[in-house]
Amino acid sequence: MRGELGEPLVIAFLGNWVTVSYVLCGLLAWSHRPGNRFGRLMIAAGFVNFVVTLSWTTNDLAFTIGQSLDLVPPVLFLHVFLAFPTGRLEGRFERGLIAAAYATAIGLQLVRMASGGFGPHNLLELGSHPAAGLAAVRVQLLAVSAFCVAGVGILAVRRLRTGRPLRRSLSLLVYVFALALLMIAALFLSHVFDGPAINQLRWATFAVLGLAPIAFLIGLLHDRLARSSVGDLLLQLRTEPDPAELRDGLARALRDPSLTLAYWLPDFGSYVDLGGRPVELPEGDRRKATTLIDREGAHVAALIHAPALDDEPELLAAVTAAAGIALENARLHAELRARLEELRGSRARILDAGQTERKRLERNLHDGAQQRLIALSLELGLWEEGLRDDPEARKRLHRARGEIATSLEELRAVARGLHPAVVSGHGLEVALEQLAARAAVPVRLQVDVASRLPERLEVAAFYLVSESLANVGKHAQASSASVELARAGGRVVIEIVDDGVGGADTERGSGLRGLADRVEVLGGRLRIWSPSGGGTRLRAEIPCAS
Amino acid sequence: MRVVIAEDSVLLREGLERLLRENGLEVVGSAGNADDLLMSVRGRSPDVAIVDIRLPPTHNDEGMRAALQIRAAHPAVGVLVLSQYVEIGLAMKLLSESAEGAGYLLKDRIGDVKEFVAAVRRVASGGSAIDPLIVSTLLSRRRSDDPLGELTPREREVLELMAEGRSNQGIADKLVVTLRAVEKYVSSIFGKLGLPSSGSDSRRVLAVLLYLRA
Repeated sequence: MRGELGEPLVIAFLGNWVTVSYVLCGLLAWSHRPGNRFGRLMIAAGFVNFVVTLSWTTNDLAFTIGQSLDLVPPVLFLHVFLAFPTGRLEGRFERGLIAAAYATAIGLQLVRMASGGFGPHNLLELGSHPAAGLAAVRVQLLAVSAFCVAGVGILAVRRLRTGRPLRRSLSLLVYVFALALLMIAALFLSHVFDGPAINQLRWATFAVLGLAPIAFLIGLLHDRLARSSVGDLLLQLRTEPDPAELRDGLARALRDPSLTLAYWLPDFGSYVDLGGRPVELPEGDRRKATTLIDREGAHVAALIHAPALDDEPELLAAVTAAAGIALENARLHAELRARLEELRGSRARILDAGQTERKRLERNLHDGAQQRLIALSLELGLWEEGLRDDPEARKRLHRARGEIATSLEELRAVARGLHPAVVSGHGLEVALEQLAARAAVPVRLQVDVASRLPERLEVAAFYLVSESLANVGKHAQASSASVELARAGGRVVIEIVDDGVGGADTERGSGLRGLADRVEVLGGRLRIWSPSGGGTRLRAEIPCAS
Repeated sequence: MRVVIAEDSVLLREGLERLLRENGLEVVGSAGNADDLLMSVRGRSPDVAIVDIRLPPTHNDEGMRAALQIRAAHPAVGVLVLSQYVEIGLAMKLLSESAEGAGYLLKDRIGDVKEFVAAVRRVASGGSAIDPLIVSTLLSRRRSDDPLGELTPREREVLELMAEGRSNQGIADKLVVTLRAVEKYVSSIFGKLGLPSSGSDSRRVLAVLLYLRA
C-alpha cells in the first residue's frame, strides 16, 4: 500500500487516525463489556494498522514485518465488521470467508516479497521475478475486493433477515461498515485497473474507515441510555409492581412497542398472556424473535420481540434480570387467571350440559306423560258425555277427570321448573309477562331489548326474575315491585326492586347464592342491596355482545 | 261447522277428531305440522282452526307463528290455540289486534267436552275463548287504588265469564240467572271500572283484558 504514496503528511495523519480511533474505541468497548471479544478485535485492528507503518522504516526486520502485513488491515476491518456485535463470527460461511481473506492477504504478500521489487530492506527476497510479483498483487487485490463485497452482501442479508434495528445508531454503524468495505473494494479495483483519482480515493477510504469507531461510540452512548431505561424499569417495578404494567415497562426499556410477554405454565405445558389466554410462540416467523427467560433454574416466561433486539443481548439480559421477581409474580398471576378461566369454562360446560338435559326432560314430559294424561282426560270426558242416564257413573268419571287435572297441574309445575319452554319458544318478554302477572304484588314490567338474547342468558334472566319475585312474595311484605331489563353497551342489565321490609340475608340464602351462580357463570355480576326497612334491590349485569 | 286441527301427537289428534265429530262438527283437515295446517286452511275454507302451540320441527314457536299467520291472512277463520302452559304474554300476542275469532285455552280443557265444544263454536263464529286461568291470574293482582275492589262478588263472577269470551246469554246460562239480570251486572261493572260499554262480545273481551293487564 505504501508504494505510490502521495502527500505523505495526509497519509500519515489518516493512518494514525485509523490506528488511534480503533485502539481507543476497542479499549472503551473492552472495559464496557469485558466478556465481549469485539473490543479486543478492534484493538487488534488498530494495532496491526500501526505495525504496517513499520514498512516506512529502514530497519530490515521492521520493514520486512511491516511489509508482510501490508494487506492484513483491510481483512481485519472486514473481520471486525462481520463480527459485530459479539466479536465472534457466527456462520460457517463467514468464518471460511475471513480465513480465506487472511490466507490471501498474508500468503500472496509473502510470494510478492519473495519475487523481489521491495527495495534493499526486504529480508524475504529470493530473486527478481517482476512478472510473478505483478501477477500476485493483482490476484491479491482482486480477491480482497471480492471478500469485501461478499462482506457487504452478508451485512445486507442480515439486515433483511432481522429487519430494521430498533436503534438508529445501530443502523448508522452498519451503513458505515458497508460503505467502508465498498470503498476498500473500489480502491483496490482502481489499483488493479489503473482507475482515476487514486489518491483522493485512498484518503476517502481511510476517512470512512476511521468513521466506523465514531459510529460505534455513538452506539455505546445509546447503550448508556438503554441502561438508564433499565434503571427506569427498576424504579417503576419498585413503585408499581402491577403485573399489568410489566409489559409496558419492558417494552419501554427495550424500545420495542411490539413486545409480547408470554408466561410459562408448567402444569398446562403452554404459554399464556396475563389474562390466562393461550399464546403461541412464533416459530418460523422471521418478523418475530423469542427470548426465553429462566429464573432460579425454572422456566418463567418468553419475550416475543422484534428480531433486531437479538443484536443487543446485554440489554435483553439486563432488562430481564431487572424484571425477575416482577416476572415471576406476573407468571403466578397469569397462572391463576388461566386456572380461573379453565374453571369458568368447565362451570359453563356443566351448566350447559345441565340445561340441555333439563330441556330434554321437559320435552319428554310434555310429549309423553302430559299428552297421555290429556288424551286420557279427553277419553273420560267423552265417556262422561255418553253416560247421560247414569248420574252415578258420570260423577265418578268427573272425579277421575279432576284427579287427572290435578296431576297435570303438578306435572306442569315440575316441567316448568325443569325448563321454561316458553322462554326458548317465544323469548323473555312474553315469559316475564306471565311471571309478573302471577306475582303476589303488582309488578311493573319494562323490557327494553330489541331482539332475542342468547338462550342461556334468557334462561338465567328468567330464573333470576322468577326467584326474585317469589322472594318478594314470601319475605318482602312489599306492596309493589318492578322488573326492568335493558340491553346497553354490550351487556344486559336486569333489575328487580321491591318496596318491602328489606334486610334480605344475602349470605345464607341459598336461593340468592344459586342466582349469583347463574349470573357469574355467564361472566356477569349480581349485586343485592337490602337495607333493613328500605326495600330490596337486585341488579344483575351480564355481558352480551351486541 | 268446518274445523281443521293441527296437533303432532297422533293420540290427541285422533281423540280431538272423534270429540268434534261426535258433537256435530265437521273435521275437514287434520295436520301434524304448521305447513300442512296452512295448506288445509287455504284449501278447505274452515270456520275454525285448532292449533297446538308447539309443533314440529323445533316445538318452539311454530304453532304460534302459524296461528298469527292465519289471523293475518284469513281473518274469517277463527283460531283456537291450545297450550300446555298458560302464558298471558302469548294470549295478548294472539289478541293484539282484536279478540274476534280468537281463542287461547289450556290443553287440559278438552277433557271438559261440553265447555270445549262451546268454545270451539264460539271462536268459529267470530267470538272469543280465553282460558279462565288467564282471567283469574289477571284478576288476582291487587292494587291499593283498585276499582276492582268495588265489585260485588256476583259482579266479579260476571266479569270473569265476560273476559273468557262468553256472551250474555252464555253467562246467564252458566250462573242460572235471567238475561236481563246479566245485562244489569254488565252495565254496572263497566260503570265501576270506567270502561265504555262496547258492542260485540269479543270487543268487550279485549277491553276487559287490557284493563286487567294494565
